[in-house]
Amino acid sequence: MTVISAPTAPRRTWKNTALGRFFSSPRSVLGAGLLTLFVLLALLAPVLTPYRPNSMEFDAFMGFSAQHPLGTTALGQDIFAQFVYGARLTLLVGFVAGLIATFLSVTFGLAAAYFGGRIDEAINTLINVFLVLPGLPLIIVAAAFIRGGGVWPVILVIGLTGWAFGARVLRSQALALRERDFIAAAVVSGEGALRIIFVEMLPNMAGLIAANFFGAALYAVLSEAALSFIGVGDVSQVTWGTMLYWAQAKGALLQGAWWWVALPGLSIALLGTSFAFLNFAVDEISNPRLAGGRLNLPSRVPAAVAAPVAGDALLSITGLDVGYAAPTGVVRAVRDVTLDVQPGELLGVAGESGCGKSTLAFAATRLLDPPGGVLGGSVRLAGRDLLALSPEELRRVRWKEFSIVFQASMNVLNPVLTIREQVYDAMQAHGVTDRDRLNTRARELFDLVGIQTSYLDAYPHQLSGGMKQRVVIAIALALEPKLIVMDEPTTALDVVVQRQILQEINAVRKRLGISIIFITHDLSLLVEMSDRVAIMYAGEVVELAPAHRLYAHPAHPYTQQLMNSFPPMTGPRTRRSGIPGRPPSLSAEIIGCPFFERCNTRMPGVCDVQPLQTFPVAENQTAACFLYDPAVPAAVKESAVKDSADRAGVVRAGAVRDSQTVLATRPRPSSPGGES
Amino acid sequence: MLYLLRKLGIFVFTLWVAATLNFILPRLVPGDPVSVMLAKYQGRLDPSAVDALKIAYGLNDLGSPVAQYFSYLGNLVRGDFGRSISLFPTPVIDVVLRGLPYTLGLVGITTILSFLLGSALGLYSGWRRGRAGADAVVPAALFLNSMPYFWFGLLLLYVFAFQLKWFPLSGALDPFPGDAFSVGWWGSLARHAVLPVLTILVTSVGGWLITMRNNVISVASEDYLAFARAKGLSERRIVNRYVLRNALLPSFTAFGMSLGFVVGGSILTEIVFSYPGLGYYLYQSVTNLDYPLMQAIFFFIALAVLLANLLVDLLNLILDPRIREGRV
Amino acid sequence: MIQPEAAISTDPEAVPHTLEIVGLRKVFGARGNAGGVVAVNDVSFSIARGEVLGLVGESGSGKSTIARLIAHLHTPTAGEIRVNGQPVPARLRGAALRHFRRQVQMIFQDPYASLNPLHPVRYTLSRPLKIHRLSRGTMDAQIGALLERVGLAPASTYASKRSFELSGGQRQRVGIARALAASPDLILADEPTSALDVSIRLDVMNLMLDLKDQEGLSMLFITHDLAGARYMSDRVAVLYAGTLVEIGPATEVIDRPQHPYTQLLKSAAPKPDAGLVPEEIAARGEVPDLKALPPGCPFEPRCPHAMPECRSGLPQMYDVGHGHTARCLLHDPAIRLNRGGAVGAG
Repeated sequence: MTVISAPTAPRRTWKNTALGRFFSSPRSVLGAGLLTLFVLLALLAPVLTPYRPNSMEFDAFMGFSAQHPLGTTALGQDIFAQFVYGARLTLLVGFVAGLIATFLSVTFGLAAAYFGGRIDEAINTLINVFLVLPGLPLIIVAAAFIRGGGVWPVILVIGLTGWAFGARVLRSQALALRERDFIAAAVVSGEGALRIIFVEMLPNMAGLIAANFFGAALYAVLSEAALSFIGVGDVSQVTWGTMLYWAQAKGALLQGAWWWVALPGLSIALLGTSFAFLNFAVDEISNPRLAGGRLNLPSRVPAAVAAPVAGDALLSITGLDVGYAAPTGVVRAVRDVTLDVQPGELLGVAGESGCGKSTLAFAATRLLDPPGGVLGGSVRLAGRDLLALSPEELRRVRWKEFSIVFQASMNVLNPVLTIREQVYDAMQAHGVTDRDRLNTRARELFDLVGIQTSYLDAYPHQLSGGMKQRVVIAIALALEPKLIVMDEPTTALDVVVQRQILQEINAVRKRLGISIIFITHDLSLLVEMSDRVAIMYAGEVVELAPAHRLYAHPAHPYTQQLMNSFPPMTGPRTRRSGIPGRPPSLSAEIIGCPFFERCNTRMPGVCDVQPLQTFPVAENQTAACFLYDPAVPAAVKESAVKDSADRAGVVRAGAVRDSQTVLATRPRPSSPGGES
Repeated sequence: MLYLLRKLGIFVFTLWVAATLNFILPRLVPGDPVSVMLAKYQGRLDPSAVDALKIAYGLNDLGSPVAQYFSYLGNLVRGDFGRSISLFPTPVIDVVLRGLPYTLGLVGITTILSFLLGSALGLYSGWRRGRAGADAVVPAALFLNSMPYFWFGLLLLYVFAFQLKWFPLSGALDPFPGDAFSVGWWGSLARHAVLPVLTILVTSVGGWLITMRNNVISVASEDYLAFARAKGLSERRIVNRYVLRNALLPSFTAFGMSLGFVVGGSILTEIVFSYPGLGYYLYQSVTNLDYPLMQAIFFFIALAVLLANLLVDLLNLILDPRIREGRV
Repeated sequence: MIQPEAAISTDPEAVPHTLEIVGLRKVFGARGNAGGVVAVNDVSFSIARGEVLGLVGESGSGKSTIARLIAHLHTPTAGEIRVNGQPVPARLRGAALRHFRRQVQMIFQDPYASLNPLHPVRYTLSRPLKIHRLSRGTMDAQIGALLERVGLAPASTYASKRSFELSGGQRQRVGIARALAASPDLILADEPTSALDVSIRLDVMNLMLDLKDQEGLSMLFITHDLAGARYMSDRVAVLYAGTLVEIGPATEVIDRPQHPYTQLLKSAAPKPDAGLVPEEIAARGEVPDLKALPPGCPFEPRCPHAMPECRSGLPQMYDVGHGHTARCLLHDPAIRLNRGGAVGAG
């Protein structure tokens, strides 16, 4: 089944941030600057030097002088004039051959991906052939037959032979794009093939095509230099490559005119570097994984209060604040969360995408990667502050004291190691080295979670999604930790498998007496299996209550409305309504209650003004809602509840009240699944 | 098994394309290729060489192009590449076989070294990303990778051989290196190889570095790596069994594919150092308009690259359990 | 305009069904006669005018493939699709294809993937109008009307936005508006709410129900969620491993499931309204490999009621009353007699 969670991937403002990111990288600025410099040099050649590059009117091998800043060649040409005019043809070769190659790459790559089938197979074979054929010798042989005739034959040969690498990359991206739903949607709308290729697909590949162009231009410049150097092509033209040819042929180095060799070669290298920088920069933008985002978050302020008085708690999270560094500032994904877990308890944490529940799990277990970081608060496991442990101390505590089960994904297990090795290494890292003991324990664990032990020697790709998740749970149990944190462990699985795994988790928990924090967006699931449930909204815990109490008497309006949002499985079929609007942006300061905008029992003048607090509702039940604030007059509360009852009749299904964009927050760029 | 058969199919097919290109290219020149060539030689060729040229291009039997093509392919299969024009009447195959060991020794070994070194540096640079040292490697690699091979070779030659006289100026061996495979012979070989090896190493290591770095960064954000860290595995184990194993696979594939690029460039190094390998003979054949030799060398470089690719595919089969199952 | 159509739909003899599919089959990756994944295996059903058919199944059951076959995104291996009584040829081109696209539209699962991030909403909605040359007033007025129909008001603020500036629910509304633009007779909704948060799912479902009621649209509502199917659908069809196992009125199929698989699905689903005691389920194994389906009933290897007869061939659909049929031998009168009629519902 498809993952239920909405991908809260950064909503990229494509144009703005792409360009913004491009110019914020020193590499791309340097690359663009170098390229501009060379282009100016080429354009302004007649201004920069009074001489023609090919006139042999001067003495040979003259040294530096005011007239000839770089001296003259063996043939009596001005080296500086050759250099600036050489920039023209060299750039021409790079640009035009790069364009030809890119054009071919795009055409072949897109055609293969769009048409698929036999056309794709044929093109792919052609790509493979051109990829492995040694390029330069082929160009040499081809160019050798077309001597003379200026630079155009060389450009053509380089362009025609240099497209394969780009075509391969573009084909695979176009194939991925072809599978995207918006292409299917365009087809269903009735769009024709050409429009789909050029208006829907091509613009989405702009970054990659640009990167590919710079790569091809680099290859072209280097190839031209090599061809000219060995005298293939037209050596009567002035390029940096032919300069090197003549310098070598006339023994420039032996004559001590080393700059005649050094300058054109260095320029080629710098031009190539500028292309490479631009290629790399564009690549980083289209593949954000490669971009090195560093965080600039304030360091953690430890919780002022020590561990709460309920001293028998296994885990206490106190005043935890977690944020992500974003271009617009800090996104505060978890806000002042205080929770504890008793020994043997199953604490459910529920909330919708972006509410901070996964961030909470990652931060509490210290798995949060930059740009995320803990801003304040403490996490104590059996009295020890997890956030203060050194990396080595943390490594020792991990898995032995607490373990983590990620959202079932295809990639939680290492694809190239056997299951056995991955079950063993968790134990080996914590001192179990005896082979027999490892084997016995692995078999025990597999029996416990209901997998045949023969699967120990399989590779992950040989297992179904449900089996992989059972393996992960088995690994989580390996060292009998006191606490297991489960972040959406069954979300990606089908309901039947989900139910089976939940039964197994429950049985194991009861047998071993371990505590579990179970995080999910599925409130109905939690209510069935948790001891206590915490409801999160906009980074805060808005309600905390025993499961049966939460089910029977939800206190917070969000909990009430959320429970009403599930269509019933029994009873009469009547219309219900969801919760209109959307959560507030977490990058802004939230004054008062974050649910105010969407709440059907809100109290203007109270909820949107006063700082949010948590109030007791009943025994063991608390809610962050002013309806339970003893300081708020009863009359105000009653009129809010009455208004809501009146409104309930006229709520128009589908009213979308709020249109502002919520800044996306993700737990970590690499978190399993996109749920936060 | 299917995987291997497919790879073998591509190998044969590509080799055939290379041979066919060799056949077609001279015929793309307007007019009868041999007369065009003869015009270029301007009568410097003796008649027997002209005949050899005609035979080499299958023009002697005056058959249809199709018949010429098949007699050409037949000669190829029998290892008959005709006679060299510049070294007439030496058979082309002899010249190729004379140069091949040097190229395999120099370019082959150096390319593997460069891949290993570049991958190690890339692993470091990707895994320690964010540290000044690891990040500074990137622009340096991009610059080195953008240098023309032969130009960097020239600079080395000028500084270390011409100015400092630490290394010989040219060749693969001293004129009288002693008995083959003796200690002195090896010493001579090594001294001659230092500068060419350095040239190829420095100019090609950057490419492998960037490839590996990108792969490591991709792997670093995989779920299985977060899981490995959560398990409390030691950094060493994570790097060896989780990062390296997975990052090396795509690097390896990239190695196979870029081999054609890199080897093509590397052989130019031989020209600068007058190193008597295939690249050197390619240069000789180009300057002497020795077309049969030129084409045979292209064919053999292609063959070597293709064989290396096949080897890479075999290794992939061993390293990746998913390929073994025919999943990829 | 709206009322008469709704009235006609009660008389199936007079008006052809909006959609009929007969013996639909799709095999992926088959070479020659052997091998391949049987994604859809001999599926037949129909949707009357103004009716919502819920198509329920787990991943790999073939439910999305069926939608894509009907939408002409895949070509069926066998079987026939009829829209408004007209057979749809396997290869459609030119004007015939355009005519088909006007009648059948689709809503996709992931609103984050189904809108091109580079195009503003206005462009996305203008394309169907232009392609199908539907001009009723100016383009802006039409786009405005579409946006308001799906609850995106004021339209002018939404028309210029790109998808990344919208929330998930708003994107899905744009997706619905795009489908409506061509004024289709049939909408294929492929899990339109499963990528959305729980709190906004109901409102999107309500929107679709409103549109159905107001315009007499027919709809194929694909989901893995029984409760959602019950909420949305007039009738429900259940798929397992590419095979239709049960079909009937929504309340019949979900409240009184007659196929052991539907019963399993129901007992495994979270039931917020059914109290706090989790239901224990006793199914073994997992969904079979679609490359090597068992010869008989595909559910037989996991079925708690499996009998030797189940392996002899795919059972037929048995009528269990109230327009409700199930593909299970337990409803075969002969076998019922032998087993003493011990087949409980639910």
